[in-house]
Amino acid sequence: MSAPTLAAPRPTTTQDRPRKPAHVGRKVLWLVVVAVVVAAFWGVDISWDALWDMPGKLWHYLGLMFLPPAWSQLPAALSATMLSVAMAWFGTALGVVISFPLSLLATRGLAPVAVRWPLRAVFALLRAVPEVVIAVLMLSVTGLTAFTGALAIAIGSVGTLGKWGYEAFEAVDGGATEAATAAGASRAQVMRWGVWPNAAPEVLAFWLYRFEISVRASAILGLIGAGGIGKMLVDNIQFRVWDVVGILMLVVVVVTMLIDQISGTVRHRIITGRWEVPVVTALRRRSVRAARLEASPSVLEDESRDGTVG
Amino acid sequence: MLAVLVAITAWAWVAVDVDLGALARNFSNAQNTLVQLFQPDYSFFGETLQPLLETVQMAVIGTAVGCAVSLPLSFLASRATNPNGPLLGFVRTVMNVVRSIPDLLYASIFVTVVGTGALSGVLSLFLFNLGIMVKLVSEALDGVDRGGQEAALASGATWLQADRAAMLPEVAPQYVSQTIYVLELNIRASTVIGLVGAGGLGMLIDRVRTFYQYHYLSLVILEILVLVLLLELLSSAARKRLVR
Repeated sequence: MSAPTLAAPRPTTTQDRPRKPAHVGRKVLWLVVVAVVVAAFWGVDISWDALWDMPGKLWHYLGLMFLPPAWSQLPAALSATMLSVAMAWFGTALGVVISFPLSLLATRGLAPVAVRWPLRAVFALLRAVPEVVIAVLMLSVTGLTAFTGALAIAIGSVGTLGKWGYEAFEAVDGGATEAATAAGASRAQVMRWGVWPNAAPEVLAFWLYRFEISVRASAILGLIGAGGIGKMLVDNIQFRVWDVVGILMLVVVVVTMLIDQISGTVRHRIITGRWEVPVVTALRRRSVRAARLEASPSVLEDESRDGTVG
Repeated sequence: MLAVLVAITAWAWVAVDVDLGALARNFSNAQNTLVQLFQPDYSFFGETLQPLLETVQMAVIGTAVGCAVSLPLSFLASRATNPNGPLLGFVRTVMNVVRSIPDLLYASIFVTVVGTGALSGVLSLFLFNLGIMVKLVSEALDGVDRGGQEAALASGATWLQADRAAMLPEVAPQYVSQTIYVLELNIRASTVIGLVGAGGLGMLIDRVRTFYQYHYLSLVILEILVLVLLLELLSSAARKRLVR
């Protein structure tokens, strides 16, 4: 009986790799994209030489702005910012009040087509026109005031909130709606008890998110004269009071980031049901990681290095 | 909770100085404007072509440069692809600052620094894009499955090689899709930043509104509308294909 011999390694047949698919369509698309970009560079009326002395100039102006910024203007800057935030809040609140019933009426299953599509078209229209343009249109009625800015923000947010609203309502699981209908609920009752409880967290989060957008928009609206921090900025830029511009920019950046953080935290709470304060969470995560690292240093070496900043 | 919200709204009401009377008083004024607005003067079309083209050019250049520069930066700004803690923190902080400055503010500053025209527009769009793209793409990177990267690192690749070979292909579709989205935002933004002198349709809007030529203004707005809606259609179709 011969011992079973190991089969000799099979000679590797030199087989060609399968050829890569050609992707003609993709190549053509790339060509078109490149052509468009090149054409834009070619055709645009820009003297690119100006870019050479740009860094120097920019450095110069940054120096004028921030070395040092005009701290004495800080109170004025803060009160102007409060006006901007008030504008954003009021505009968003008004937008919420207007858009909420409209988005219910634009939801499939809750309203007839004849109501739904015109509403959706209006939302699309409002979203397509920038807030600044809306404000420019409204100047003739209310003049250059913060109220105009707030109204422009309201109209702009009706467009976005309306769309997000009906999308959220349509994503609601059909079970509750069906149950409500089966139990003999009217259309309004179906909305109240079948749709709203399901969509509420998401919709609330959208409102807050829209407020964040409105804060940015209100600064922009100020730049065309509708009051608040933007107006103060543009005035100082026009008269080249650069150190005041510096402090204003600092305030804009800090306030925007602060509001984003607060609103983001609240949104997180609404969606997940847990409070998660950014800095605290980062620190806690770090200490957990450090504890794990002590337990078994070798395994987690990589991870401990990338967890420094939250 | 509700009381707090009502209180804030009441405060905002007072601060904004809501003036419903003005609405009623100036309504006849508005009527004239509205009548003019609904009769766009199409003979003005020829004059709008050049700014319209400039708006598109600015948006395309801003998107191209901004998105190209944002790719390496987003790899530096994601915890998943950048093992260097201090560098990660630095890049993220800078990008947060860049993102929190509104585009129109960039534009008004660049207009004073490099002068009016498309260049300041392109520069401000570039920074605006950088902020958005780095945030979106680095967040996409954070969510990517890191198995491939781990395998590459284990087989001796450097971080750069591992990110290039394992992470880049993972985010490529999202990167392209965000680029299209940013182009859409840019068209919108580049119609506006002209208001402070940064080129494009905005400059035209500023010109016609100072002379109260609402016939012309409505034509410009109509063009913006068509442009934005066209691009939105295009981008939603393209993104649907990419995500699938």
